[in-house]
Amino acid sequence: MRVLVIEDEQTLRETLKARLVDTGFSVDDASDGEEGLFAALELPLDVAIIDLGLPKLSGLEVIRRLRAKGRSFPVLILTARDRWQDKVEGLQAGADDYVSKPFQFEEVLARVQALLRRAGGWASPELSCDPIVLDTRAQTVRVQDVPVELTSFEYRILEHLMLRAGEVISKTELTERLYDEESERDSNVIEVLVGRLRRKLDPNDTLRPIETLRGRGYRLALARTATS
Amino acid sequence: MHSLSRRLLVSVSVPLALFFGVMMLVLDTGFRALSERSLRELLDAQMVALIAAAEPQPGAGYAPPAGDLASRLRTPGSGLYAQIRSAGGRSVWRSPSTAGAPIDFGGALDPGARSVRYTTTDHQRIAIESRGIQFEDAEGTWEFTFSVAASLTPYEQQLWRFRRQLFGWFIGLMLLLMVTLAGLLRWVLAPLRRMEREIHAVEAGRNEVLGGGYPRELSGVADNLNTLLVGERERVARYRDTLGNLAHSLKTPLAVMRAALSGVHPGAQDVIGPEIDRMSGIIEHQLSRAAASGGALLGQAPVDVAPVAAELRVALLKVYARKDLSIEIGVAAACQFIGDRTDLVELLGNLLDNACKWCRSTVRLTADIDANLATRGRLQITVEDDGPGISAENRARIGQRGVRTEESVPGHGIGLSMVQDTVELYRGSLLIDRSPLGGARFALRLPGREAQPAPN
Repeated sequence: MRVLVIEDEQTLRETLKARLVDTGFSVDDASDGEEGLFAALELPLDVAIIDLGLPKLSGLEVIRRLRAKGRSFPVLILTARDRWQDKVEGLQAGADDYVSKPFQFEEVLARVQALLRRAGGWASPELSCDPIVLDTRAQTVRVQDVPVELTSFEYRILEHLMLRAGEVISKTELTERLYDEESERDSNVIEVLVGRLRRKLDPNDTLRPIETLRGRGYRLALARTATS
Repeated sequence: MHSLSRRLLVSVSVPLALFFGVMMLVLDTGFRALSERSLRELLDAQMVALIAAAEPQPGAGYAPPAGDLASRLRTPGSGLYAQIRSAGGRSVWRSPSTAGAPIDFGGALDPGARSVRYTTTDHQRIAIESRGIQFEDAEGTWEFTFSVAASLTPYEQQLWRFRRQLFGWFIGLMLLLMVTLAGLLRWVLAPLRRMEREIHAVEAGRNEVLGGGYPRELSGVADNLNTLLVGERERVARYRDTLGNLAHSLKTPLAVMRAALSGVHPGAQDVIGPEIDRMSGIIEHQLSRAAASGGALLGQAPVDVAPVAAELRVALLKVYARKDLSIEIGVAAACQFIGDRTDLVELLGNLLDNACKWCRSTVRLTADIDANLATRGRLQITVEDDGPGISAENRARIGQRGVRTEESVPGHGIGLSMVQDTVELYRGSLLIDRSPLGGARFALRLPGREAQPAPN
């Protein structure tokens, strides 16, 4: 999952970035509104975390312009002004949720994950495509109720595919969401990772959870299961 | 004496009435003196004519010849009477007009003496002039008393006619003056009336400031008032902005500290973490308290409740998207809050947020205007949910002044104490009880009014 953090306070931005990377996100960051807007328009993002009090261009304005340009990824706003007026304005401008400063990282993470789920049409933190169940909170995967050990890259690919179960996701998109701007990219890595993922999830080759569509990408072929 | 024009009217009309009163008294006295003099002249003239015409009669009598008498003396009840008495007081002659009028002309007078007296006969006042006369002729010296009497009735009638006329004229004049004065006052006070109207419009939020074009004496006041109005609004806006910036600049370092805490020894985390939360809570609580304006600024339009509720509903549905809830809004179309929009957004935002947090699936907001109440509590807002509700004990504690709600009722955070504070600033009321939905119900009473169609 690729996330953009726009926050002018350096320590906060870097801590947030480090913790998100630890959790398995690929993170891009920006320190002011203009830079942030540029990054948000250029990068293939899954979610953005935007501080409302930004220099150069306010967070509110960044969100408005993003939405005006048709960017529909979820946006979480960070706000120090705990007034409803500000929150309502932010949400009206196109943000999807807010977290008040000072926040605990876990709070931000929970909100971001919830936004990602919602964007993929999932209501619960447990994504379930029978028999695969992925718990976004614990970052664990079970197949037929048996835990499966995945590397963080494998997990991220599966999470992305499951969040958008049924949709075709290109190799480029997966690559972009796995790496942030600075990393070197190699699309062959994706093929290798998907191959490993298939073997781990379906050692007997009976389930065939991940379809390959030649020249177009991958698709999670299992139907979503309504969670209780 | 609560109106300037009434003061002016009274202060002008009292001296005017006094002046007219004195004038009437003076004119009345003058007229009376005049009519008295003309009466005396009449009596004198008759007396002289009578004395001149009278001749001795055979048998010690003395009388004027009937042919020489004035016609009024010959006609009974004409109001003019005459009598001649002998020295012994015995009547020797009476004018024919005395027939049927028993007038007491009085006794005999010494020669040369004169008297004037008034008497009442037959319900009419009569003035009697008498003179003692001495005659000498061949037969000796004769003494007689001549009396002439005249009824005062015609004079009194004249006097009353005069008084009526005088009074009528004065009343008429007075009314005319008052009407003129009232018209004048209307014209002179028109700018004041206009100012009053415009201030009302500002109070009701129809206008932001007073208009221009006031006369020189008032334009200064109007300008100052406008400066005050605009200045006050700008001051509040600037104040809020500053508070917002203050919150931002205080909380961002706290957020940094919070973020940096993850690298610290867990024991230290347990100490510092709650302290950071406490500081953040204090900042939020105090700043939101300070930012609440707590009253309608002059020139501030009343706030329609319905759009605010609709905005918050959309925002909260987004925030609580993880929860399958419905927010029912039942706001009467004409509901208006007399106060600051930001305050209303904070109040409803906090209450709805709280309800969304605790509800199972339903949150309901209703607002209505109760015209029977004082303006201060006319707007009735209830926010209720179907959650677990608040125990009676905790309800009482939320209602207590000075109790920090977030300390007393876990889970009902700073928001509720802010609601409590703001309601108090508006001198409204907050009642917490159980909703028919099953959860808590917050009933607010705030200053409000029914929306009025715009004039013009």
